[in-house]
Amino acid sequence: MSQKLDPQFHKELDAFGCHDFTQCMNCGHCTAVCGLSENKVAFPRKIIRYVQLGLKDKLLKSPEPWLCYYCGDCSQTCPRQANPGETMMSVRRWLTTQYDWTGLARKFYLSPLWEVTALALVAAFVVALFLLFHGPIVTDRVELNTFAPVVWVEFGDWVLAVGLGSLLLINAIRMASFILSIERVRKIPLTLWLSELRTLVIHFFTQKRWRDCPAPTRWWKHVLLVSGYLTMMLLVIGMLRWFQTNGSHWRVIDLLGYYATGVLLFFTGEAILGRLRRRDEIHKYSHLSDWTFLILLFVTSLTGILVHVFRLAGLAMPTYVTYVVHLAVAVPMLVVEVPFGKWSHLAYRPLALYLLAIRSRLEEAEAAVSLTDVPQPSPA
Amino acid sequence: MEQSHSHDYQQGASGVGADTPRVGVYVCQCGGNISDVVNVDRVVQATARVPGVVVARQSSAMCSQAGQNLLIEDIQREKLDRIVIGACTPSLHEHTFRAAVARAGLNPYLYQHVNLREQISWCTKSDPEGATAKAIRLIAAGIGKARKLQPLASISTKAIRHVTVIGGGISGLRAARDLSRLGFAVTLLEQSPFLGGRIAHWHGLYPTETAARDLLATLIQEVEKDPNITVVTRAEVIETSGCQGNFQLQVAAIPRGVNRLSAEESRAAIKACPVQVPSEFDFGLTERKAIYLPYEGCSPAIPAIDWKACTRCGQCVAAVGGKGISLEDAEERLTIATGAIVLATGFDLYQPYEGEFGYGQHREVITLAQLERLLDPQGPTGGSLEWQGRPVRNLCLIHCVGSRQIEGVHRPGPNGKVNTHCSRVCCTATLRAAVEIRRRFPEVNVFDLHQDIRTYGRGHEEYYREASRLGVIFIRYAGEEPPVVSASEADSSPLVIRVKDLLTFGEELEIPADLVVLATGMIPRDIERLIEQLKIARSEDGFLQEVHPKLRPVEMAVGGVFLAGTCQAPMDVMESCTGASSAAAKAASLLAHGTIELEPFRAQVDPNLCQGHGKCVEACRYQQAIRLVEVEQNGRKAMRAEVNSALCNGCGMCVPVCPTGAIQVAGWRLDQFEAMVDAIVAEHT
Repeated sequence: MSQKLDPQFHKELDAFGCHDFTQCMNCGHCTAVCGLSENKVAFPRKIIRYVQLGLKDKLLKSPEPWLCYYCGDCSQTCPRQANPGETMMSVRRWLTTQYDWTGLARKFYLSPLWEVTALALVAAFVVALFLLFHGPIVTDRVELNTFAPVVWVEFGDWVLAVGLGSLLLINAIRMASFILSIERVRKIPLTLWLSELRTLVIHFFTQKRWRDCPAPTRWWKHVLLVSGYLTMMLLVIGMLRWFQTNGSHWRVIDLLGYYATGVLLFFTGEAILGRLRRRDEIHKYSHLSDWTFLILLFVTSLTGILVHVFRLAGLAMPTYVTYVVHLAVAVPMLVVEVPFGKWSHLAYRPLALYLLAIRSRLEEAEAAVSLTDVPQPSPA
Repeated sequence: MEQSHSHDYQQGASGVGADTPRVGVYVCQCGGNISDVVNVDRVVQATARVPGVVVARQSSAMCSQAGQNLLIEDIQREKLDRIVIGACTPSLHEHTFRAAVARAGLNPYLYQHVNLREQISWCTKSDPEGATAKAIRLIAAGIGKARKLQPLASISTKAIRHVTVIGGGISGLRAARDLSRLGFAVTLLEQSPFLGGRIAHWHGLYPTETAARDLLATLIQEVEKDPNITVVTRAEVIETSGCQGNFQLQVAAIPRGVNRLSAEESRAAIKACPVQVPSEFDFGLTERKAIYLPYEGCSPAIPAIDWKACTRCGQCVAAVGGKGISLEDAEERLTIATGAIVLATGFDLYQPYEGEFGYGQHREVITLAQLERLLDPQGPTGGSLEWQGRPVRNLCLIHCVGSRQIEGVHRPGPNGKVNTHCSRVCCTATLRAAVEIRRRFPEVNVFDLHQDIRTYGRGHEEYYREASRLGVIFIRYAGEEPPVVSASEADSSPLVIRVKDLLTFGEELEIPADLVVLATGMIPRDIERLIEQLKIARSEDGFLQEVHPKLRPVEMAVGGVFLAGTCQAPMDVMESCTGASSAAAKAASLLAHGTIELEPFRAQVDPNLCQGHGKCVEACRYQQAIRLVEVEQNGRKAMRAEVNSALCNGCGMCVPVCPTGAIQVAGWRLDQFEAMVDAIVAEHT
């Protein structure tokens, strides 16, 4: 089937960050130097070519952008300064807006006004909830669970988790239907979905493909950051009733909190500094979405640990106020970033590898079928 | 024809003739270049024993002063009368040694050169034994030939200090101006009524972006003002005779019909003409009258009458009151005596056949030349990019139309051949147009369909870079699977191009197009009459062929004929001017001394053997080099062959066809070849 070109597409991708790809002369140097590119899933040249021609369908079908961890080798060695690394990043941003069916992701990615307004509205909503429904304010000692009863907060946690999870799941299904094609998705037996589930889980927790990138430190830094993030998620969703306590005493569970907070603060701080310094290839180009994600995560962690410090110090009012601020940052971050923003790469990256594994299993099966289809010479 | 034997080298002296020749053999070591492989001692020992050899020596470098002095002393002391030197290639030092031989008082053509370096030591490094044996045989062959050598004298012919330049385009103008500045009288013949040729069509030239017509105007002004240059327009050479230094050209000149009109009168005359024909200048995009000026500022700025289109209605004559226009179209004849000819006849643009990429079937398919006219601010649309009244949104450029064709894939041209050559200039010209469109009309999407991008010259690649930067979309097709242009069913654009894109892994792409532009290549011009008259050669691709692309790049094999510009090969303006200037310099150096010295290796007829069969005349490849003349022999009239030494190139085509063996090439006679063969097959110890 012939492909229809969209020569205006480059303008659209411009808005997602990169505009140097018109300089690409398709030499394939980037694909040759990429440590992750393989014969069957070769990139970045292929993706850049689709961008040049505006072959949107081809881009939607491509899992390759999610396999790139942006070591920047391709950009550094590109003989035309076409910046393949940043082009791949821009395509990831664009794909995020395409997987999202609500159209909100597109607004948030392209308009600072939309993004800030959305964050502010959710924050205002959180603050309003506290203003209207907070419990009794005890000021002579820290009674956080009285001010914000853990059951209610836990309830809010689960509402948020289920709501955002569902939105993300819909995006994931859309991504699967693009990459595998809808017809295929319908026909895939459950056993196949289940048998490759290992791939999804392993890559979600380890991002182990990143180890093949030539900058190994970035991989373990990221693994630590993710471990801190997941630990914190576990503490505030699954274990909140043990984690959020009254009084100024110290408990063993706080060790986990320290680990998670320390890792989050350190590595988000490092990334923010990196983006300010713009020394590493991965940090040279920053889109609005990169800044909001990092800053919100950093401020969430910072206010989280402040709540802890104030509680231990027995400072009641500062504890309560910081707690409200903490949630007024964390909740908007999650609402805006999980289904519509950069956070979603946590899901899309392992999902791409999972879908790729399923696709290659399907292709093997299809090849086998087409072989058996060959008419056997009948004994005459 | 004036000829004289200018140098007399003791002909008949030094024992030539009666006595047995006394041969001197010299083997050069060439500073190890030869002696590292060839055992020079053994070569000297072996060749010393060959009959007739009086002296056999070796030297570390025969070309050095010491080597040459050794040679001269030996000739004088030992009364040597034949010299054989085994050294490097004759193209390097044959002249050196001939001069040394002449300084010793011997005829320089009693010298035989043997190449021991390029033909033996450099190519036989791994087999010194074989190399030595080969060196002995080749020198023995040289001795064999040397013993049969006869004294010869170089030929001198008169040179007229006048050059005729054929073609009034940029190359011809440049050559004419350069020759005039070197002090030669020049006649510039132009076939059309106007000077300037091809480049007048283009408004911007890569890589400098100079306005072509400004550039031309300067050059034409210099040529027209130059008292040394005579310009003849509407001229055609109909007969050529003579040889280098002294050609006679018969030229037919068709009158332009208009003698002198003021600008106002010209406008009135043109306005009055009722005839409309397609304008060549706009490649058929507009129409012109039968009395016309191709463009504003053309030169000469006097209208010309297109005699084929003119109906002789006389309305133009009436419009100017009967003065200045004459409808008499009888051609005039001119005779030009000239020393050299510079060919600057230019190229033709490849004309796509009907249906080639939709050309002639869809009105939206045009050539790059037509696009250039559309982009020209002074062009038919005033520089706005619209076609058939609609603005162009998607424009598609297809490279290599009529160039780099593949046998079995492309349709052969009228000559039965496909054009396999690359036209070289179209890639950069196409990209220049792409850049201009993206800059001037950013809303127009430009697609560039190429096989390869060959932006080979200084400043050319920048156009590719700029086109990339400006978002031109490049698509690469395989020569075997050219793009297919067809009508589109969608309303947005009238045409759609389907192409397998090698840059997208062979994916078939559909490209919408409002205008498809074919970058048609350069093809050799139809100058058959000129080629026939001058007996000059075309190369495989049909362009005129120089003697050697590197060593003699602007000279034709026929002496006194030089090449300037695109009659030789596809080239751009810069290269054409370089070629034209070097053709001018070469012509000037040929004619500068008033006489031309020619090597004596020409055909010679033995009048006692010639029976006047005339086979040699048929076999001769050079105009009038041999002809049959009536002579009186023993009181009876007979036809005998006669060679014009100035025209003969010594190619030897006449020798094998002569039934009586009467014709031979001096210095390369058959008995000399026989002696060489005998020496080669003989035993040497």
